[in-house]
Amino acid sequence: MKNESTIIDVPAETSSAMKGKAPLIGMAKDHTTSASGGYKRGLSIFDFLLRLAAIIAASVAAGTMFTSDETLPFFTQFLQFEAGYDDLPTYQFFVIAMSMVSGYLVLSLPISVVTIVRPLATAPRLLLLVLDTAALAFNMAAASSAAAISYLAHNGNQNTNWLPICQQFGDFCLKSSGAVVSSFVAVVFFTILVVLSGVALKRH
Amino acid sequence: MAKESTTIDIGEPSTVTKSTNHDVVDEKKKSFVTAAAGGGYKRGLAILDFLLRLAAIGITIGASSVMFTAEETLPFFTQFLQFQAGYDDFPTFQFFVIAIAIVASYLVLSLPFSIVTIVRPLAVAPRLILLISDTVVLTLTTAAAAAAASIVYLAHNGNANTNWLPICQQFGDFCQTTSTAVVAASISVVFFILLIVISAIALKKH
Repeated sequence: MKNESTIIDVPAETSSAMKGKAPLIGMAKDHTTSASGGYKRGLSIFDFLLRLAAIIAASVAAGTMFTSDETLPFFTQFLQFEAGYDDLPTYQFFVIAMSMVSGYLVLSLPISVVTIVRPLATAPRLLLLVLDTAALAFNMAAASSAAAISYLAHNGNQNTNWLPICQQFGDFCLKSSGAVVSSFVAVVFFTILVVLSGVALKRH
Repeated sequence: MAKESTTIDIGEPSTVTKSTNHDVVDEKKKSFVTAAAGGGYKRGLAILDFLLRLAAIGITIGASSVMFTAEETLPFFTQFLQFQAGYDDFPTFQFFVIAIAIVASYLVLSLPFSIVTIVRPLAVAPRLILLISDTVVLTLTTAAAAAAASIVYLAHNGNANTNWLPICQQFGDFCQTTSTAVVAASISVVFFILLIVISAIALKKH
């Protein structure tokens, strides 16, 4: 093996100039990672706030439906003049489903905090996305089945001789419809949460 | 400024230098292979996504058409009562037919995006578009399926407290057909959830 040798001219620089160059390269790298981490951290904070709002919407829906009893001030021997959520199985399902959804949201708050603290980790976000999708479908099922019954209670159905009960039970109808609207608001929040998690999972 | 010069010994002849270049090329090949491997696993997910979409198209078209043709006329009649039942007697069922038809056409329109994710497995934009639109369509499908399910439940069981009579006792065939349509729509909801999860996993960076 022959040794080759060559002469390279190194221009002398002061040590302070040499010192000055190195940190710039290091800072440039940090800046790119913290930029993407910062933007994802912003998404996580927005996710956390949306979760708090969705907790309020879901628990208001469950609570309003639960307390929507009405008793009319007159009675006869044969007909009952009370209306409550437990007279309609669909409303029972609604109360149970919205309570479960609020409970899930409260339990998912720590995972959301983890995504704020570690914005570049993908496992918590993926877990949140999958669970949020399931909760979205569950919430939407409860909301729209209760909406169909509310529509029937308001309008009735002539072809099947189903009479609109809202004409007697005005307060009950009002409260149950309000609960249904609140749960649709929670559905909108869930949709935004799922899309947020999807955008934040995106790699750069 | 004083110029300094230094002597660097390059200890290898040119033939050995060529082999080190080969190592560099090998490293480049390795990074390419890792990219293709990540692309391979994402391509598999994209193919699964495409097949799920085809199955969901079949099921949603089936659900919508079954509900649309769910008529029954009883063989007797009186002067005052009607003895026909069809999907248009129930506004909820009308909503069901229209909503599931919209979902089926959305699925057909999303097939090209799915093919793009198969061809370019590492592209992020098509997958993100599919994720967002799948989420919106999931809510529409769930709404239609759940609303129709609550009406079908009422038709089967009635409600004693509100004096709503169960009509299934007269219209057995109509009830059967509408229940089938609701079940099919619920299966398509499960497919949509799977589609969303697949898109999310494929979006994940490595």
